[in-house]
Amino acid sequence: MKTQGPPLLVVKDLKVHYPVRTGVWNFSEPRFVRAVDGVSLELFPGEVLGLVGESGCGKSSFGRALLRLQEPTSGTLTVLDQNFLNLSGKALRHFRRHIQMVFQDPYASLNPRMTIGEMLAEPLRAHFSLTSGEINHRVDEKLTQVGLSPPSKKKYPHEFSGGQRQRIAIARALILNPKILIADEPVSSLDVSVQAQALNLLKEIQSSAELSMIFISHNLSVVKTISDRIAVMYLGKIVETGQREELFRSPQHPYTQALISAIPIPDPLKERQRKRMPLLGEIPSPEKPPSGCAFHPRCPWRVERCSQDPPELEVTQSSASHRVSCFEAGKAHPL
Amino acid sequence: MTPVLSLKNYQAFFHTRRGVIKAVNGISYDVFPGQTLAVVGESGSGKSVSQLSYLGLLTGSPLQIMGGEVLFHGEDLLKMNDSRLRAIRGDKIAMIFQEPMTSLNPYLKIGTQLIEPLVIHRKKTKREAWKLGIEALERVGISRASTSMDAYPHEFSGGMRQRVMIAMALTTDPQVLIADEPTTALDVTVQAQILELLKSIQKEKKMAMILITHDLGVVANSADQVVVMYAGKIFEKGSVDDIFYRSRHPYTQALLRSTPRIDRSDGPLPAIAGNTPDLLMLKEGCPFAERCTFKETVCEERFPEANVLGPQHIRFCHSEKVGA
Repeated sequence: MKTQGPPLLVVKDLKVHYPVRTGVWNFSEPRFVRAVDGVSLELFPGEVLGLVGESGCGKSSFGRALLRLQEPTSGTLTVLDQNFLNLSGKALRHFRRHIQMVFQDPYASLNPRMTIGEMLAEPLRAHFSLTSGEINHRVDEKLTQVGLSPPSKKKYPHEFSGGQRQRIAIARALILNPKILIADEPVSSLDVSVQAQALNLLKEIQSSAELSMIFISHNLSVVKTISDRIAVMYLGKIVETGQREELFRSPQHPYTQALISAIPIPDPLKERQRKRMPLLGEIPSPEKPPSGCAFHPRCPWRVERCSQDPPELEVTQSSASHRVSCFEAGKAHPL
Repeated sequence: MTPVLSLKNYQAFFHTRRGVIKAVNGISYDVFPGQTLAVVGESGSGKSVSQLSYLGLLTGSPLQIMGGEVLFHGEDLLKMNDSRLRAIRGDKIAMIFQEPMTSLNPYLKIGTQLIEPLVIHRKKTKREAWKLGIEALERVGISRASTSMDAYPHEFSGGMRQRVMIAMALTTDPQVLIADEPTTALDVTVQAQILELLKSIQKEKKMAMILITHDLGVVANSADQVVVMYAGKIFEKGSVDDIFYRSRHPYTQALLRSTPRIDRSDGPLPAIAGNTPDLLMLKEGCPFAERCTFKETVCEERFPEANVLGPQHIRFCHSEKVGA
């Protein structure tokens, strides 16, 4: 991992709010679902940042906002020193070659009517003026890189298995040699035996191409396998972030602790001995997030202040790269 | 201990226009009272079909039961007439499914759906059943149970709906509970709650549970016995410790190694090469042979016989080189 140099991507106080339609004759205050509610983070060259959270925490909305597939409601987004939110039209389309995405469902994200070759050639034609020989060469190269044979380019998506389709989706995202890759649950739809292949492939490509990646997933075990740094999201906000080892060795936020303790380990003896941190209920609706700290209704540590003031993401005592947003973090809390 | 449910050389095939899919291809195991048997496998392994088919829940599909026996207290479910099977299904053998969003009727109140098994199987009056329904909801940890009876499914979150499904399945005190990926659609913090709930109810009622899952973590957490399936076949079965610590099947071992886990972090995962097989294209022999690092000539010729390794531990593999 090389995290030297200035960040490639800087997000400040990003918000994505979706308006809720309540009917034509409703003249009351418009309501919003606060999917992403003030996220700030940086992505450094050559790093994999894992973004983890449960359903409805806003991690996918955030990923889409980074590519402006979903327009952010407010905040700033600087990509490769460019104000990405100011770009429009041709400049925006041209700039997007630097930041590409892999989606969760390899059955829905590949056009069934295009051959693999056409699919991979399309972005090259749109962005560069290359001869068909050069395009062919680049397509073959990318297919080989993701472990598929060049003759596969004559085939259609339905001729491939889920794991192979995800390889194609990865090849398509990489065909323009982007600097940044956003991968939204890229292995979640794959079987265990195929999932490991896809994870290894992503990691291998990422380190050889010096790609920076944001890896979004609900699965903390998968995130741990691939990430250098991890950010934990809850109800539209980042509650804790740190280097992978640090975050797992001493998680500071009660939600991170609960999340780690809830994941079953494929080891019966360990499972029998484990103590789980009980969490009450489920993630509330982002339409009416709780006051103060959004986690307080489920939190075993809550004190009076938690329902009143929202905590900020602050540096912990242990390390400058480890930050947590909790008033009670760092104090003794018996299970 | 006598098993409450036994599958003996059970076979169920799909007859499609493109050919025959041997979804369940001769599997045998016993399920004991008070124990959880986990059926583990990837998609297409036949883990769900092997359960749903003998209960007559796949009748609209081109599925045909080809042979074997499914004994419930010694009585073959496959030879029963429809009304007898209906009397057992949803009463003595109950089910919960993966999708708590789609397995409840959105037009009916929670209560109306919850009391159905009691009204149908136990001939309770609506009033009696309603009272029992409130108790059932309380048992699965739903607060304000009596108001919840009047709610509609959309008012509940995923985890709450799964609690309702569990409450519904348990109203008749079943002897066997078949749970098909009961926590796959849920968030992990909620999954932990639901697994705990299932375990505590099961111990209390001495109920047998068949837990169908692809998640080895869930297996380690909840199972007593484990059956590992691949392409319609059983590859290995044994106690949960047999499978996790003494496995001698290349597929089980590879699956365990390739699973990402939070208690480890080292280099790349040892992945299994290749893809899960296309069930229409299955050849003779062991379906894992083409992906297996221990492959011998005999593996492509015939499927291995049972190789008994311990009192409960059996594997189906030709190779003697697979270490423990």
